[in-house]
Amino acid sequence: MTAQRFLLGAATVVTALLLQLTVVSRLPLPGAAPDLLLVLIIAFALAEGPMAGMVTGFIGGLLADGLSAHEIGRLALAYAVAGYLTGLLHDETERSTLQPFGAVALGALTALGAYAVEGILLGDPRITLYPVLRAALSSVPYDVVLTPFVVPLVAGLVRRLDVDPLRRL
Amino acid sequence: MRGSRRLRLTLVLLLLTAFTLTALDYNTAQNGPLAALRRGIDTVFGPLEGVVGGGASSVGNALSGLPRLGSYQSDNKKLQQENARLNGTIASMAGLQCQVDQLNQLMHFIKFTDYHPVPAHVVAVGPAGAFEWTATIDAGSADGIKAGMSVVTGAGLVGRTNGVTPHTATVLLLADPKFTVGGTLISQASVGFATGNGSKPMTYSLASTRSVVRKGDVLLTTGSDTYAPGVPIGTVTSITPDTNAISRTATIVPFVDVSSLDLVGVITTKTPTAPRVPFRPYGPGPSPTSSPCRAAVPQGPVPAASPTPRVTVAPRPSGSSTPSGSVTPSGSATPGGPVATATRTP
Repeated sequence: MTAQRFLLGAATVVTALLLQLTVVSRLPLPGAAPDLLLVLIIAFALAEGPMAGMVTGFIGGLLADGLSAHEIGRLALAYAVAGYLTGLLHDETERSTLQPFGAVALGALTALGAYAVEGILLGDPRITLYPVLRAALSSVPYDVVLTPFVVPLVAGLVRRLDVDPLRRL
Repeated sequence: MRGSRRLRLTLVLLLLTAFTLTALDYNTAQNGPLAALRRGIDTVFGPLEGVVGGGASSVGNALSGLPRLGSYQSDNKKLQQENARLNGTIASMAGLQCQVDQLNQLMHFIKFTDYHPVPAHVVAVGPAGAFEWTATIDAGSADGIKAGMSVVTGAGLVGRTNGVTPHTATVLLLADPKFTVGGTLISQASVGFATGNGSKPMTYSLASTRSVVRKGDVLLTTGSDTYAPGVPIGTVTSITPDTNAISRTATIVPFVDVSSLDLVGVITTKTPTAPRVPFRPYGPGPSPTSSPCRAAVPQGPVPAASPTPRVTVAPRPSGSSTPSGSVTPSGSATPGGPVATATRTP
């Protein structure tokens, strides 16, 4: 983890969060809005593995928590779990072109599930069947649609920083 | 192997940290141990949101003019340029016209209710989009905004301010399931609470099982320590007939569509400036059934030209109208009736 790598993570996470708050959340789409930050976290997980995925997920989630109306730490946990799980797919030797799409779908469903379970444990009145289903049927497919725009971009940025790809852990 | 152990250790550590933070922040509205962290993040991101949000809306305005450029098929270069320029002007004029309309509506609201809202733009919409309904506005404590104030548009209630930083504030929108506001049906002087329901209409639970609720009844805020009274919330669309419940519920469709907000106002004054009218017993006058309240109340957004704008001040006295209904000698009078009369007779 060099300073450069940290700066890349911080800059992309802050950009994604700002775009999420000002543009993506306000798109007149039916259902719930896509989650740009989560797609970014999964892209980092796919490019660098579970450690990068969960650390980026935790920090990004913590920032998103601070800007929302629920308890701090909930999105941090959900995104860290999603980043860890999708990061496990990073090592696959033969990568099909469809793999990132599947990973984003898996990560988005994981984050949604983790957030919903936390909500149930905390007795959050916002977590009921209808909004969870609505998010699973709208937000998750939208995230998959964002994949070809975010995943190659992040992979390219990470590769540019990495001098020796074999030394990656 | 060592790598995967370290990985799992970090995962457990991060999850425990997240859990601890959640536990620390649980059920602490504004003053928990993590309030400073939240305020810090808000203070840093708020101005950035304002910058990006403003840029994004002008990009949107520019983009909305583009399709018209493509359809123009003339080989005259000068005309094309002229056309492009005019289309750009039209696009930005449309944006301006939209703002003028919203300002007009807000101005009308001011005239209509005697409130003087602080105008603000919605610059961002909360991140947990699927479950939470929040928005960030570009006015904060420097403009006199405090937590818990009513946020309105010209059409009615939008929500209440939640977290406030010097130049931005977070608004909990009325669709949020954690949003609850005291509401009074204008024709009933009923007491109850309206609660947000996400993307579905709001639920209004009445304290009394005897009150007669009709479709199309208009719900106003009751007012409290922080809430401004008399702000229109929405209309009744259906009534749940639960026979053995201890309260009745009705479905309320809000006047304001919180999914498309731009210009809003924050009511910073506690009560309207009109002085409280001393109570007078309801004497002979118009029959209580022909109460002017129902007619004077907006059906949808506040009408542009209402003949009797002052009557909507009635909701404020309507706080005192609950007693007036029971004190009135004429007994079964609809409490809405005497209120309007009381305000009229000085």
